[in-house]
Amino acid sequence: MAELVVGISDLKVSNNPADSMVTYALGSCIAVAVYDPAVKVGGLLHFMLPDSTLDAEKARETPGMFADTGIPLLFKSCYKMGADKKRMVVKVAGGASILDESNFFRIGQKNIMAMRKLFWSNNVLIDAEDTGRNCNRTLKLDLATGKVFVKRSGGPMEEL
Amino acid sequence: MKINKRILKSIRALPPFPVTIQKVMALAGDPDSSLTELAAVIRLDQAITANILRICNSAYFGLRRPVDNVGDAILHMGRKNVLRAVMAAGLSRYFRTARGYDVRAAELWEHAVAVALMSQICAAKLSGADDPRLFTAGVLHDIGKTVMGEFVLEAWQKIQDLVEKQKYAFLEAEEEVLGVNHAELGGEIARIWKFPDEILKAIAFHHRPDLLANGDTVPWIVYLSNQVCHLMGIGVGTDALAYRAVGDVAGRFGFRQRDLEDMMARLHRSMQEARELVSIVSGHGGNGKG
Repeated sequence: MAELVVGISDLKVSNNPADSMVTYALGSCIAVAVYDPAVKVGGLLHFMLPDSTLDAEKARETPGMFADTGIPLLFKSCYKMGADKKRMVVKVAGGASILDESNFFRIGQKNIMAMRKLFWSNNVLIDAEDTGRNCNRTLKLDLATGKVFVKRSGGPMEEL
Repeated sequence: MKINKRILKSIRALPPFPVTIQKVMALAGDPDSSLTELAAVIRLDQAITANILRICNSAYFGLRRPVDNVGDAILHMGRKNVLRAVMAAGLSRYFRTARGYDVRAAELWEHAVAVALMSQICAAKLSGADDPRLFTAGVLHDIGKTVMGEFVLEAWQKIQDLVEKQKYAFLEAEEEVLGVNHAELGGEIARIWKFPDEILKAIAFHHRPDLLANGDTVPWIVYLSNQVCHLMGIGVGTDALAYRAVGDVAGRFGFRQRDLEDMMARLHRSMQEARELVSIVSGHGGNGKG
């Protein structure tokens, strides 16, 4: 079985139940894991920034960098493998912050807001999430079962 | 500052700072020195020579044809980049696992390179001028962790309790339990290595530039770059987000949120181009994190 590593600003999809996907040490970035149990198609996105209007060229080259280009691409890539939006389970983790009273480093919060807005306007419900606070996270998606596991810095791997 | 005697002993036992790098730093900063002199100094160190060629041939420098000797490498890279490459080639040997921070050598090095590159992205945004001190200070900002690691590991439960239960920042917990934080300890190492004062200060105050009275921007740039790399999760350990934002760095630099986001997007590209710099310290650590 293959463990597919999803890097920063990257996304992967698969319909091989022997695979699992993992993305490490999420900080302010967010991991979006989607899974259609009927066809066992799953995908994982690790986006870094909320809004692709920051740099249209980078958004074209690396759509996984931004919430508003990465999330639609993640869903479309799963549809191509036979996934259906109505059946898709969505789980997310990340969007953490440092200890910051000035709020200048609030990129994690902005990522969470951008993602929620996008899901809301597309009638997608988040089934489970572990976001915010000031801890790093690692997220893993098992393609045989669709189970998602999250590990917070220093803690154990736990099902989300 | 009262440093625990065992920690002091550890930093005094570090190998001396490489003579080659000292000479190159002096020559690179002297506009009257010739590139031939520079090449002659570098050639004396085989490990640095090998790494220089590897770095010079990486995508970061975008050469059309590969170079096979130090003289050509210097011509292609230019004075400014030679210093950068020598620092990376010579200093990577000090990066070993920092166990207490739960970070591997390759990750600590990836983080060091990321902060050095981010410092330059930040400086370019500010004024466009490239300050060679930034790369050095960026690469070395966490050098203290390579020594602190084993002491942090010994005192792990105490430090973790302060961070988890009493809302201490990791830096403050280090100070309380070990009498020194990893930034100050890095400053002490820089002192032993006889680094210029401004680089020493940028290392020692990289989490607390607000404590420095003078208006030098180098420590603030390293501070900002480090915070952003911590946020992005690049090569960081369990302490990653347990740090405090201090002072008004946005106001000082006239930065908006969007500037920060732009810096992050730019770093993603820089890190891809600098793969060779990163892979000097081998092992796991090149996976995207954030």
